[in-house]
Amino acid sequence: MPDLRLYENYDAIVIGGGHNGLVTSAYLAKAGLKVLVLEQRHVLGGASSTEEIFPGYKFSVFSYVVSLLRPEIIRELDLPKHGLAILPLESTLTPLPGGDFLYRDADHYRTIQEISRFSPRDADAYEDYSRTMYFMAKAVKYILGIQPPDPTSLNPNDLAGLYRLARHFLNLPEDQLHTLVRLMTMSSADFLERWFESEPLMGTLSASGIIGTFLGPRSPGTAYVLLHHYMGEIDGNFRSWGYAKGGTGGISQAIAGAARSSGVEIRLNSPVSEVVVKNGRAVGVALRDGKEIAAKVIVSSLDPNQTFLKLVDPNILPVDLVSSVRKYVYRGSSGKVNLALDAAPNLVCLDMRSGDGVPQSKTALRGAISISPSVDYIERAYDQAKYGDFSQRPYIDIIIPSMIDPGMAPPGKHVMSCFVQYAAYSLEKGSWEQRREAFGDAVVDTLCEYIPNLKDIIVYRQVLTPYDIEQSIGLTEGNIFQGELSLSQLFFLRPAPGYANYRTPVKGYYQCGSATHPGGGISGAPGRLAALRILKDLR
Amino acid sequence: MGSASEGEQFDAIIIGAGHNGLVTAAYLAKAGRRVVVLERRELLGGAAATEEIFPGYQVNTGACDTSLFLPEIVSDLGLETNGVEFIYPPAAIFSPQLKGPPLTIWRDPLKSLNEIAAFSQKDADNFEPYLRLVTRLGKILRDTMTLTPPPLPKITPGAALPWLPIALQAKRLGDNDLRELMRVVTMPVMDFLDEWFENPLLKASLGVSGVIGSMQGPRSPGTTFMLLYQAMGVGNYGFRTTRLVRGGTGRLSQTLADRARQYGAEIRLGASVAAINLDRGRASGVSLTNGERISGRAVFSNANPSHTFFDLVGAPNLPLRLVREVRAIKYRGSTARINLALSDLPGFNTSSGGREHLTGRIVICPGLDYLERAYDDAKYGIPSPQPYLDIVIPTLSDPSLAPEGAHLMCIDVRFTPYNLRDGNWDEQRERLGDQVIKLLTAYSPGIKNLVTHRQVLTPLDLEQSLGLPEGSIYHGQMGLDQLFFMRPTAGSRGASTPIPGLYLCGSGAHPGGGLTGAPGYNAARQTLKEMRNEFGSYRY
Repeated sequence: MPDLRLYENYDAIVIGGGHNGLVTSAYLAKAGLKVLVLEQRHVLGGASSTEEIFPGYKFSVFSYVVSLLRPEIIRELDLPKHGLAILPLESTLTPLPGGDFLYRDADHYRTIQEISRFSPRDADAYEDYSRTMYFMAKAVKYILGIQPPDPTSLNPNDLAGLYRLARHFLNLPEDQLHTLVRLMTMSSADFLERWFESEPLMGTLSASGIIGTFLGPRSPGTAYVLLHHYMGEIDGNFRSWGYAKGGTGGISQAIAGAARSSGVEIRLNSPVSEVVVKNGRAVGVALRDGKEIAAKVIVSSLDPNQTFLKLVDPNILPVDLVSSVRKYVYRGSSGKVNLALDAAPNLVCLDMRSGDGVPQSKTALRGAISISPSVDYIERAYDQAKYGDFSQRPYIDIIIPSMIDPGMAPPGKHVMSCFVQYAAYSLEKGSWEQRREAFGDAVVDTLCEYIPNLKDIIVYRQVLTPYDIEQSIGLTEGNIFQGELSLSQLFFLRPAPGYANYRTPVKGYYQCGSATHPGGGISGAPGRLAALRILKDLR
Repeated sequence: MGSASEGEQFDAIIIGAGHNGLVTAAYLAKAGRRVVVLERRELLGGAAATEEIFPGYQVNTGACDTSLFLPEIVSDLGLETNGVEFIYPPAAIFSPQLKGPPLTIWRDPLKSLNEIAAFSQKDADNFEPYLRLVTRLGKILRDTMTLTPPPLPKITPGAALPWLPIALQAKRLGDNDLRELMRVVTMPVMDFLDEWFENPLLKASLGVSGVIGSMQGPRSPGTTFMLLYQAMGVGNYGFRTTRLVRGGTGRLSQTLADRARQYGAEIRLGASVAAINLDRGRASGVSLTNGERISGRAVFSNANPSHTFFDLVGAPNLPLRLVREVRAIKYRGSTARINLALSDLPGFNTSSGGREHLTGRIVICPGLDYLERAYDDAKYGIPSPQPYLDIVIPTLSDPSLAPEGAHLMCIDVRFTPYNLRDGNWDEQRERLGDQVIKLLTAYSPGIKNLVTHRQVLTPLDLEQSLGLPEGSIYHGQMGLDQLFFMRPTAGSRGASTPIPGLYLCGSGAHPGGGLTGAPGYNAARQTLKEMRNEFGSYRY
């Protein structure tokens, strides 16, 4: 068979094999294009990858749960056929100092009982809150599937888009519109205070507002992040979080499978050093080893730092774009601690008996465990880190995948995935090389308050700081969303005013990562919308 | 019970003679309406008053600064030809440090450039472009102050039409400015200033204005809105300036009252309103605490929204939704006030020893991290031991306020929470005063010995004496979620309330606080139109 690589010529090249890049490649290939994906690492998926970090133990190294993967993508790429299996995370356990806990799961009645142990008023309000968020998720769902119109443009497409957008929102019932305005402008704590009062519930719910965000639950803007994390659907159920069989790498593999089945070629260990531009047009890429590959369309799934400042010479770009890209805020705030465990962790709180509400140990361990005993706890964690440090007592979101997906660890052993806030990318004192283990220790020490046997059963510990995240998967400053999800850089401002349409000023060069609308999370939405944009432009 | 006033019928009853209520009174009276203003205190002006709380001293017990007061009100009501003399001190902001030279931002920006350049040439180069941007963006905001927020989601063409000029004007300024406004208004003030400047003292001098009127720090999104708002002052300098009134801020309120009376309005002091009366769900008048009843076609409240709706109207008379909304209003006062009488001018480490530097606002806040840490304390119910002090020495520009050679110092202490973690404000009052003096002494050694009189107004005192809930100087925190059609409650339309015939004319209504007179102006503007529509031909 002739070596086709002698004629390195594709219709489209996607730089970066993260989930968005893979989604873009799959959609382009389905439309008949000859697509090549170039991934710098030895493994696909970017922040959605599963790796056997310690022999026998498989970690979802970076991201660990999924909710936001768009149903239309699952359907249109037939991902279940390619191995996608998402198991719902049915419960959230919030252990409290002293041994009590808050437990919520899919059993509505039991959840209400549990909440009423802390506040009957909260138990009453829970249903109204859930219903409100359901409607809010429905109301904004529309935005997830559209290219954001520019309100300052008189371009007919933008005007039409604006009109449709305005009509969509002005058709909402008045109280829903007001709630939406509140979600866009309030802090998650203030928003939740309109329903709730008890600390464990407020703490746990408000935590969704600070994921990947360097703000505290009392900072305005966090209610938006809360909403962002409610926009997921699993099997038509809004706001359910799930665990992907095989770890989040399973998601990337499924998308890659769909892509390959449409003819996409994926190359690992192929870092791209630049996009080749001739006469204002992208004509191909150059790999780090010097090889050049030609293509009519180049799509970058990397963040704006790479896309606009490294992959091309910024001098060929308009000054306003470069200036905006330099102002784009990353501000990584998260870390990850992945543990290989010799045995199941013993949560002290699960030994507590409190009548019918006691969850079976195994059930609680199959869901999410949230170290978020109160809003103040999380706010203090933020205060500790915001001046350039990491929290000594951080917010931690934990899942133990091996409890529901036995293949992730040897029999009887477990992997524990801990997502941590907060850890500043720029440390005031010292470097992350020096302080990485201290960060890991702070996380483990915090966990030991709730899991006394933890230190005895840790077989291996992997600590990922914002610096490590940046160095290994190219997320600038370790921001998991390829840039803060703040109103000043969302929607028609993401990643820059005037450039929120997946295009770049260079003909044939596009962007498709989380730094485009609708932002981060494993949604695939940016990847799909970018592909649709490209296909439209090609017509 | 005297019922002679049962027959008293006014077109407009205004509850509270704060500056906003007086503005409404003057405009309505000028338009020929029969107006009565009812003030429970023996003194006019509310939080814009001047009182001789120390013998021989005329002390601004509320606001010192009138730079945001709408120029159209000044000219419409002829205030300057009827007793108001504005003073424009040459300095805008003076920021001393513990170690190192101070920074002065002058009213004349060119004069500031040299001082800024001494800290950073890059900052000096960016200063004027920064001011130009803030001025342009502020202008768009400024125009929204006197418009009625549209009734989203049910927008009618009539409600949307007045917004067209702003939209066109904004568009004419260029796509960039409009996008820039949308981009920056939600930003934290720290991020906004980081884009322009590098020197911490400059950033603090400019950035402190972002935390006024809210319990938020410089890292909180939305504080850039307040920075732009505070910079909208008369003269449009691009930063917050100070404008004093000769004789004290109370003279502004006094003149507003005089003008209102000249136009035919009646102002009654010592008249405390106990309830707003409703007739078939419509505001029909008020009842005073002495039993007197006064009827009116429309009732305006200069009081805060909670007092208005819960105390005066009563929750049972309100739609359930409004009850929930009003209960959820976030006041979140963060300011305490300390007034000092000084036997001499305190010394600060000024670059030239000149008193001129001290004529504007003296800002004790050497950096934005300092400010954020003060906020950190207050967040958890602790009055910050290192608060941001916002100081005015009005006697430098207006010696008439004090005996010869003596001075007054008005200090706004920011990041003093209403809800204390330990103890209560009655116990903590003097401790707060001592703490602030101690802090001041670090910047002005010897100031303690100059203090001859001291008044400490905690957030509790502000609540009890001036009707500012939780000490909120703006009748409600001015965060992005409590502005515009969300102020004071979701769906608000400026001065209108869900109770027909009842209007809010105080800072609790759009656009908010800052001694602008805008809420009072809007209340008059909106109702004159509505009255004309509702009542057809009208006695002029």
